[in-house]
Amino acid sequence: MIKKTKIKITIFLLSTALVILFINIAIYNKPHINVAKSTPDISLVSQKLLNDFENDENLANSKYLEQIIQVTGKISELSKTKENLVVTLNNDNSLGSVMCHLSVEESKKAKGLKIGENITLKGVCTGYLMDVILIKCVIIN
Amino acid sequence: MKTLNILLCLLCFSMLSHGQQRFLTKQGYTSFFSSSPMEDIKADNNQVLSIIDTSTGTIAISILMKSFQFEKSLMQEHFNENYVESDKYPKAVFKGQIANFEGLNNNEQEININGNITIHGVTKQIQTTAKIIRTDKNISLKGKFPIEVADFDIEIPSVVVNNIAKTIEVTFELDHKPYNK
Repeated sequence: MIKKTKIKITIFLLSTALVILFINIAIYNKPHINVAKSTPDISLVSQKLLNDFENDENLANSKYLEQIIQVTGKISELSKTKENLVVTLNNDNSLGSVMCHLSVEESKKAKGLKIGENITLKGVCTGYLMDVILIKCVIIN
Repeated sequence: MKTLNILLCLLCFSMLSHGQQRFLTKQGYTSFFSSSPMEDIKADNNQVLSIIDTSTGTIAISILMKSFQFEKSLMQEHFNENYVESDKYPKAVFKGQIANFEGLNNNEQEININGNITIHGVTKQIQTTAKIIRTDKNISLKGKFPIEVADFDIEIPSVVVNNIAKTIEVTFELDHKPYNK
């Protein structure tokens, strides 16, 4: 009888340990946010996003950082880094711009983008240097 | 105050009129690497802003902490929330001087860079060497240097103390182009 209880307790402890282990592994391997499959937290035009950062960077940081932002604007520049494409959105008269770094997969798919065209993208906002930076961007339209 | 603003504007214009005095990149690369017995951690950032004033050889670099991309999202979360507190300190900044800038030519050379780096609100003086190539159309800088986590008031909880190195290796690759705006 005592033996049976002992076995039961051991099985119980072992299974609890296993469950905890699996939960830990799951947390450790938690995937990155999937921008393509997420609905944007905020949608706006590029000039509004830029103005907000130019007027009050701290306020804009608290509002936009790490949010998925859908932004619409005119393409003023297209450039390439080693692995991805960068779409710069800008009105002709402003000094700053919104720089959208496309994800690596999206960069491979993106074709036929032209300077002067309007575009809508979504991406994760990481902050403001001379320009507002969005990363992991995917093209919507 | 107004006069000061006007003076500053004039100063800016006078700098612009000199033509290509500034070289800039908005897509510079920097990464850091931590090697420990438990695991290796690496993070990349491709949105580094770096500006070189060619009249003086000064360099100014700004880095968004939230732009660092880690292999595991949990690491990225811990880095931003617990270690560098990127909500409070969203940027790392370096301001420095490239030694013997005037004497540079098209060939790759090794030069010294001296300056102050600010991470997590703490400023430290650093000196490092970098490989530089300077042409009329491009200034490329490459190098790496170590930083001590403890120097920047970053506390690593004892649970993960074996997972994170005390000395982190920072690598940079900055490809500056003339800036005319």
